[in-house]
Order: sequence, then structure tokens, then C-alpha cells
Amino acid sequence: MRFLVLPRAAARARPPVRVFLAFAALALVALAAQRIVAGGLSPAEVEAHYLGAGGGDALPAAALWEEVHAGAFVYGFVLFMLGSLAVLCPVSARVRNALLAVAFGATLADLFAPFAIVGLGRGGSLRVATFAVATLSVAALLAVVALSFGRGGGHEHP
Amino acid sequence: MTNRRLVPFRWPALGFAAYLVVQAVSAAALFVLKLGGGAAGVRAFYLGSPERFTHAKSLAGILEVAVPHLAAVPLVLFAAIHVVGFARPHRRRAFSALVALSFASALAGILSGFGVRWLSPGLAWLKVASFAGLEVALLSWAALLVALFVPGPHVRPVHHGAGAAAPVQEVVR
Repeated sequence: MRFLVLPRAAARARPPVRVFLAFAALALVALAAQRIVAGGLSPAEVEAHYLGAGGGDALPAAALWEEVHAGAFVYGFVLFMLGSLAVLCPVSARVRNALLAVAFGATLADLFAPFAIVGLGRGGSLRVATFAVATLSVAALLAVVALSFGRGGGHEHP
Repeated sequence: MTNRRLVPFRWPALGFAAYLVVQAVSAAALFVLKLGGGAAGVRAFYLGSPERFTHAKSLAGILEVAVPHLAAVPLVLFAAIHVVGFARPHRRRAFSALVALSFASALAGILSGFGVRWLSPGLAWLKVASFAGLEVALLSWAALLVALFVPGPHVRPVHHGAGAAAPVQEVVR
């Protein structure tokens, strides 16, 4: 936090921020690949995963909450870091806040969408949509920060 | 908000607070669903239960849960404590007590699982108490973040021209 709010300290924060961004990008790509390989882009496969293929049992509530629990840590921490770093980037506060709001909203929706699928007995397309918006919005936020810090740094914070 | 330099960090901080609540709620749901929510359920979970047709937990099984928590929980607590500690001059004693409760209950919660399995079934109460302590701590940090970063009466948006609200940073400048 001190690095972010003290203008002269921001320059020193740049190298570790770049490394963090590289890892965050890798994590996002890996997460997306994991979901796609598991059929995350197909509503039918998503429904089969949560509702049980061929008349099988739906995933138990504990499995759904485990997904929420793990995802809340990853999304919460990464978005907090990216959102804080974005403050130092030369984009308007309105754009930055809109991007952050979409990312937070979409990731939350993505975490809780499986409950809707199990409750309704359908809705695989909802999870596909939340996955797409969540991934793209986090990627966009990451790109904004990376473009700023990758080029030699964000502007000095007031 | 007492530190105006932190105003631009409002939405990331509030989003983080929301996710702290999600973590606390999901942890509570898992504690009830998997461990039964009480000492008897904790004992059955770690030592096995003929009624539930479950065996005692293996070392690998307990480590599978303990290892990610040993990394994730301190990291989340560190981030929340860091922001709250930086954002506001607070009552030092209360702040230190909440920090101590957070880390102590996190560590006790992780270690007590091993304790129930290999030391004493009576430690199930420690597991329940430490889980409750960590829940209180997580929700307290989330509440403090909300209290610190929700707009105060002295930081109102400046209105320009046709009435559009100015970006928060302009208020700070």
C-alpha cells in the first residue's frame, strides 16, 4: 500500500509488479485452459458436469461450495491487486471503476452460477457466459495494468 | 475516510471486502456440510464414523486441506490487515487484538485437525472455537474495510457541467 500511495515509491514497485502481472496472466490462461478442456464452453457439457451425465447424480452442495471457496480466494486477491495497481495507470477513473465493477460482478456470478444450474436443472449457457465475461474482464484489467507498468510505469499518484 | 490518498482505492478495497465475506460464508457452509458444524461432527469427520460409513482421515487427506490453507489464509489476512492498518489511525490495542485473533485462530484451526486425529478427540472443541474465531476475524476485517472506504460526508463527488459526477481522483486532488 505504501508503494502505491507514495509517488516516489511507485518506481521501486515496478519490477515486482511486472513479475506479479506475469504470474497473474499465466494463472488466468491456465484457469481458462482448465475450464475449456473440461468443456466449459459447451452448455451441454457444463450441465452434464453439475447435473450428472446420463441421469447421474448432481454434484453435492459441498462440492459447489468448495468451488466458491477456492475461487473467492483467487479472484478476490488478484482483483484487489489489479484494481489497486490500476489506480496508477493513465486511464480515467470512470473507465477503471467500470472495468473493475464488471470484473468483480462477473467473477462473483461465475462462482455462484453452478447453484443456479443445480437449482434449475439447466442453465449451462449461464455458466458459459459468466466464464467468458469473467475471464475477459479480468484479462482487460490485467492488460490495462500491464500496458502501463510494462512500458515503464504508471503515472505518479496524487 | 480519514486518509484522502486512499480514496482512489475505494472500489478495489470494497470488492476485496465482498470477497472476504464470500470466503467466510463459503467456509461456514463447508464447515456445516462436511464437519457437521459441531464438536461431534468434527470428531466423526477426523476419526471416522460407522454411521456415515467413513474411515479416519489419513495424513495425506488432512495435508491436502491444510497445505493450501497455510498459504492462502495468512496471505488474505496480511492483505486485509495491511490495508486497514495503513488506512486509519486506529486503537492500537483493539487492532493488535484482532490481528492476534486472526492469525491465532487460523493456525489453531489448521493444527487442531491433526490434533483431533492423533492427539485427543477433545480437541474438536478447539477446532470449532478456532473456526468461529477466524470467521469473526474475517467478517471484522471486511466490516472495517467497508467502514474505512465507504464514502464519508466530506468526500462528495464534485459536479461538473451537466451534473456528471467527477472521478473520485479529482476530489482528492
